[in-house]
Amino acid sequence: MFYRIPKFNYYRASTLDEALDLVSSLNDFKVLAGGTDLVIDLKVRRYTVKNVVDISRIKELDYIADDGDRVRIGALTKLQSIADSPIIREKVPVLADAVREMASWQIRNIATIGGNLCNASPAADTAPPLYVLNATLRLVSKEGEREVPIAEFFLGPRKTALRSKELLKEIVIPHEPGCGASFLKLGRRNSFTLSVVAVATLVKVVENKFADVRIALNSVAPTPVRARKAEEYLKGKEVSLDNITEAAKLVLHDISPISDVRASAEYRKDMSVVLTRDSLIKSLERIGIKV
Amino acid sequence: MIRFIFGRRNYYPSSGEIMASMEDPYVLIDKWLRAKEFIVVGKGVARADALEKALGKAKYVEDYFQSGFLFIKQVLSTEPHAKIKGINVEEALRKPKVVKVITASDIPGENQVGYALPDQPLLAEGKVRFHGEVVALVVAEDIDAALEASEFVRINYEPLPHILDPLEALQRKDVLVHEEVGSNIAFRTRIRKGNVEEGFSKADVIVENEYRTHHQDHLYLEPEGALAIPGLDGRLTVITAAQYPHLAQSIIARVLGVPASDIKVIVPYMGGGFGGKDDEGPLTAAKAALAAYLTGQPSFILYTREESMRSHPKREATIIKYKSGASRDGKLTAIDVTIVHDTGAYANRGPFILWRATVHASGPYHIPHAKVDGYCVYTNKVYQGSFRGFGNPSVQFAAEAQMDELARKLGIDPVEFRLRNMLRPGLTTITNQLLDHSAGIADAVEQLAKVSGWYSKRREYGVSTGRFRRGIGIGVAWHGISTSRGVPDWSNAYIKIDKDGSVTAFTGIVEMGQGSPTSSHRQIVAEVLGAPIEKIKVTFGTSDAPDGGATHASRGTSIGAIGVLVAAAKIRERLNKLASELLNCSPDEVVIKEGKVYVRGDIERTITWEELIKHAYSRGVDLSATGYFFLPKGKFDDTVGQGQAYPAFSYVAMIAEVEVDTETGKVRVLKVWPALAAGRIINPQQVEGQIEGAAVQGMGYVLMEQLVFDDKGRLLNPDLTDYVVPTALDVPEIAKPVYVEDLFKYGPFGAKGVGEMALIPAPAAIANAVSHALGVRITKLPITPEAVYFEVKKHGLIK
Ligand SMILES: Cc1cc2nc3c(=O)[nH]c(=O)nc-3n(C[C@H](O)[C@H](O)[C@H](O)COP(=O)(O)OP(=O)(O)OC[C@H]3O[C@@H](n4cnc5c(N)ncnc54)[C@H](O)[C@@H]3O)c2cc1C
Repeated sequence: MFYRIPKFNYYRASTLDEALDLVSSLNDFKVLAGGTDLVIDLKVRRYTVKNVVDISRIKELDYIADDGDRVRIGALTKLQSIADSPIIREKVPVLADAVREMASWQIRNIATIGGNLCNASPAADTAPPLYVLNATLRLVSKEGEREVPIAEFFLGPRKTALRSKELLKEIVIPHEPGCGASFLKLGRRNSFTLSVVAVATLVKVVENKFADVRIALNSVAPTPVRARKAEEYLKGKEVSLDNITEAAKLVLHDISPISDVRASAEYRKDMSVVLTRDSLIKSLERIGIKV
Repeated sequence: MIRFIFGRRNYYPSSGEIMASMEDPYVLIDKWLRAKEFIVVGKGVARADALEKALGKAKYVEDYFQSGFLFIKQVLSTEPHAKIKGINVEEALRKPKVVKVITASDIPGENQVGYALPDQPLLAEGKVRFHGEVVALVVAEDIDAALEASEFVRINYEPLPHILDPLEALQRKDVLVHEEVGSNIAFRTRIRKGNVEEGFSKADVIVENEYRTHHQDHLYLEPEGALAIPGLDGRLTVITAAQYPHLAQSIIARVLGVPASDIKVIVPYMGGGFGGKDDEGPLTAAKAALAAYLTGQPSFILYTREESMRSHPKREATIIKYKSGASRDGKLTAIDVTIVHDTGAYANRGPFILWRATVHASGPYHIPHAKVDGYCVYTNKVYQGSFRGFGNPSVQFAAEAQMDELARKLGIDPVEFRLRNMLRPGLTTITNQLLDHSAGIADAVEQLAKVSGWYSKRREYGVSTGRFRRGIGIGVAWHGISTSRGVPDWSNAYIKIDKDGSVTAFTGIVEMGQGSPTSSHRQIVAEVLGAPIEKIKVTFGTSDAPDGGATHASRGTSIGAIGVLVAAAKIRERLNKLASELLNCSPDEVVIKEGKVYVRGDIERTITWEELIKHAYSRGVDLSATGYFFLPKGKFDDTVGQGQAYPAFSYVAMIAEVEVDTETGKVRVLKVWPALAAGRIINPQQVEGQIEGAAVQGMGYVLMEQLVFDDKGRLLNPDLTDYVVPTALDVPEIAKPVYVEDLFKYGPFGAKGVGEMALIPAPAAIANAVSHALGVRITKLPITPEAVYFEVKKHGLIK
């Protein structure tokens, strides 16, 4: 246990170009956004790096834009801005639901959405809603930009598809009217808690049948995961409590939780089923369907 | 409601002198106990430090740190049990800015800081006994240098087999935490009252269960810290967060091998103690003092949260085997209890904690036949210590679960069953102590059942088979006032009045958030002197005040405040006499109130407070006094645990209403109703604060807090990420408390003390409510969602 941050060189970029120049010229580095994950990780020496590039003051990456058919969120947008945004609340309320339950007001005012994703914790709370919203991440480097679907971004605990000189620029969320989505988090207390399991679901219903179903969970696998088996089971099926209950049990096929100080694997498994069912019910309620 | 039920004074000092008897503490305590009208006592007077704290101006230990002071970093053991073959400090000493590395061999005095037994070094010597034990102190010119060098202290360990499970430790002789003891039993206690075989033969129902309770960390906002400055005020002055400045002073003196008079201890505002800084505070102070003494420079230590959690003592973890019997008419006939406390690597205050658990094992009930055996057992884990309730919350949890189970078997309502057995004046405790006065619990429980709607809810809840199930439960508890058995306890303080009429009281009682010195002490002094409360200043937490005992055991406003009461009362007698001469009346007719001094019933003859004080100075009246009072204690036979255990008991009850989500196991505490029979309520606002805080701390303990150890006894969650305590959003509604003011004859104005109370019945009340909701007996804490969920699953309560 050691609490002195080893010395590093500190660079601060004020524009995206400057940041890209810096990271392409440096080798052993980490970028710093809100620092709510990184500073702790440097202290406990999960990472030891020679250089830290502070990108937190790049104003051009702090925005929430409504393009009509999609919503774009700059990587450096603060979690609290997302929770408070009328655009998010109207177009993708499930993301606001998840963010409101994250950390505390103080942390949410410095932590960024990009940091939550790039940190790639299995427990990242913005991941399940972004998974079910089919978000894509726009990555940028001096070589140019590319888009990666969120489900392909997470490769393992603290591992992402980001290349070494690449930064996350923005998150693009297609707007799909008529869908119902919800987020449920089970923590160890009522607020300011990391998830033991969290679930986001999204449903689209046509003539009382599931036209589309998306289910994503965190904290139950090396990365946040989609529960494809359960989704497939429900698609085309009639909306009924029995079908939902059956489908929820199938999430076990897509998860592989571990036991740790927060919970046992067995509890996480059982709770994944309970939360998936509850979230599906809640998502249906959001579009006026009671089961 | 106020009750006066006084036994005969069992001790009266033969002073002989007529003047002296006017200032006899027994006479003065009794006189003020009988007061009928109050100026400030019993009122929600705002505390003196309210504004300072709200504005963030109040200073804590760390605020006295100045750059240039040396910083101390502790090196903690990474082995649970190992011989120390050698400590190599060379490499660390070569690091920049390192001034000194201190190990056991550098200690000039005694390396012995055990409170109850002489089993504990300040710095590990010969071997380490838990993962996290302090082995060395690195002293450097700044924090970074100290942190860096601490990594280069090389300790050569020869690992020894370690033992973590207390029941295993109890049996084994081959692995010994302390070889010199010959077993892993640090201490034993015993109670034998009546004949339990006979008691059980008269029982129509018998309940037998094993209960387990867990550790708890105090998690005070302010971690441990101390600042030692050589030569300040002519002595080695230590500013520290300790609950007993005089104890810190004597521990420092012992470690340094100097007289206590060479050491001064100041305890500024403290960011929470809860007992943890009663144990760890003096040790923290001794570490800073040691560095300052050896380097000759001001030295500062501040624990990180992780260091604090890894090394400071925890609430005891227990295993309690409990058998009780009752007759068909709902009377308890006998109990047979075995209590095992996992004391960890050192006894610390474990023997005292075990005594408290043992003596209180019955709960506040009359039981004719009782057998209790207690074992305080060493293991290679962080050691146990003082924590709000001091061994009592765990045993009351067990006792109250037994009461519910007996009531269920007998088909009697749990409150009704408790009332049939409750201790009342005239009955004896399990130590055969006759309660002669101040036992108002039955009345409190009756009122509590009414205000909470107990009887209807108890019938209504607990039958649901749906997902969300409600339950209501009660916990009733008692808590002896002062130290147990014949262990001496006393109070003292010093008061002086300056020429301008301002009053200063000096006390060793500390301000750790509870407000004793900044609220109730001021009220007591203002009430007794009759001086305006704005004129009263209480200088607290200083070893320069006479030793009046620790701020623990709920004594800050009870035993701990007798000193200020008696000192003020002595001066008041002198002022009454002076005023009677000035106003031409008898001393009993003198009224001093709101800055005026006059004759009762005659406002015409008036002088001001300031005038009275001027007269005192010019006429030779001594306006300074100490308030020493030595609490009389009865006889207690340790071999059979019979006799006077405590001078009196405080009583407390709590009813909790919960809702359990059977599918996730989550327990929501919807509302709690507290009741208190703790003598006079000196400041209701402060008491409510204590009750609310204790209820929440108790709820956190029961529902979410837990320390997780790995197989080497290493703490896996020594941080705020994974040691989970309640937030504001977890707090239930807390009803206005029911008070029964069952005055205690030696308490200031009859006060018995409050600080620990509401926590003690919280585990019992909440666990009983959850058991009621589910129809399944909870015998193990904590009741985390996961634990509840698996209980539900095990008993097939949901499909
Ligand atoms: C008290 C507390 C409570 C918390 N509660 C929660 C919670 O409830 N739920 C939850 O999910 N998390 C929680 N967190 C974790 C953390 O706050 C979030 O993950 C946060 O969103 C991280 O954002 P940041 O801006 O602080 O990231 P940083 O710490 O600055 O960065 C995190 C990682 O991402 C990288 N990075 C950041 N931005 C970019 C970018 N644009 N391009 C490439 N790489 C980048 C960094 O190099 C670093 O490796 C909590 C943290 C704390 C301290």
